[in-house]
Amino acid sequence: MDELELLKKDWKKQEGVLPRLSYKDIYQMILKKSSSMVKWIFIISVLEFLLWASIDIIFRLSGKYDDLAGLEVPGFSIISIIISYCILIYFMVRFYLNYKRIQATDSAKVLMQNILKTRRTVKHYVWFNLSYVALTTISLVTYLAFFTDQFSNQSSEEGVSVFLVIVITIVVLAIALGLVALFYRLIYGILTSRLKNNYKELEKLEE
Amino acid sequence: MNKDLEHSFVTNLEQNQNIVHKVCRIYTNDPDSHNDLFQEITIQLWKAYPKFRGDAKFSTWMYRVALNTAITLYRRSKRSIKTADFDSMNFKIKAEEYDDEVEQQLKLMYAAVKQLNDIEKALVFLYLEDKSYKEISETMGISEVNARVKMNRVKTKLKKILNP
Repeated sequence: MDELELLKKDWKKQEGVLPRLSYKDIYQMILKKSSSMVKWIFIISVLEFLLWASIDIIFRLSGKYDDLAGLEVPGFSIISIIISYCILIYFMVRFYLNYKRIQATDSAKVLMQNILKTRRTVKHYVWFNLSYVALTTISLVTYLAFFTDQFSNQSSEEGVSVFLVIVITIVVLAIALGLVALFYRLIYGILTSRLKNNYKELEKLEE
Repeated sequence: MNKDLEHSFVTNLEQNQNIVHKVCRIYTNDPDSHNDLFQEITIQLWKAYPKFRGDAKFSTWMYRVALNTAITLYRRSKRSIKTADFDSMNFKIKAEEYDDEVEQQLKLMYAAVKQLNDIEKALVFLYLEDKSYKEISETMGISEVNARVKMNRVKTKLKKILNP
């Protein structure tokens, strides 16, 4: 292609007109802090872990779980503590290991893969939490409705059917989770949309 | 020890800074963004420097980090302008060296390169820097065959932009 060859010739001549930084200029630069997207991904991911962990802690401190434990659900509290912390630790370790693997000296593709993998770990954690909340709520309500007299006593007095309670729970839950998921997709999209596009572009070559 | 490392790094970068400036040229449209990207590439190079063993040439190693920063790590600042005003860019080589027609053609070429996506820009950049397909494939993390195929596609795309 003639034009590209012409461009190449011109490209080589530009050395003379390129800006020139002094030793001091460059030295000043290495003292400054990075504002790379990896740093932002790290900050936001840690915030997400903190957010979910603190929701859990607030629930415990406010005694919400004790209420549940009092509702004749045997061992619910202690099992849920063990499970949720094991899972939090598992995801944090995976996140940290993936994060450590991000190196600017890798090839473009490997670098992108590692960043996406790191981000995906956090995404899985959030999805895990959302499903955990959904499942426990539904199973608790079901349990209380069918295997205890918690609702049947109330509903007979107030005339609310058990099924209505379950349906309302599911609808409220779906809306709440939907909103969280939407918000999450927004953050995730803003953070990684350019990266994903570039990765797809590289992948396209491998077809 | 740290002072020695700093000194050797800054000296190396000072000598090879053209590579970084050229990457900034391809990926940014105004002097502010150019400096912003240069700054980020410098930080990324410095962060990676302790692992630089000297088994590769400093300049070869720089291409990778600089391109990775431009394509993936760098967050475009809000300052950067999407549509470049090419007349105000420093892209022009002294006008007296070319006749009008060639100069016009070059201007169009640079404008066309600016319309490519991040990955295509990287390929064109490495091509303009006379890198072998082997090096291009290693830098991008794709196979050599695919690097060739993609480069041909980029050439076709450029042609289409120039002759719509």
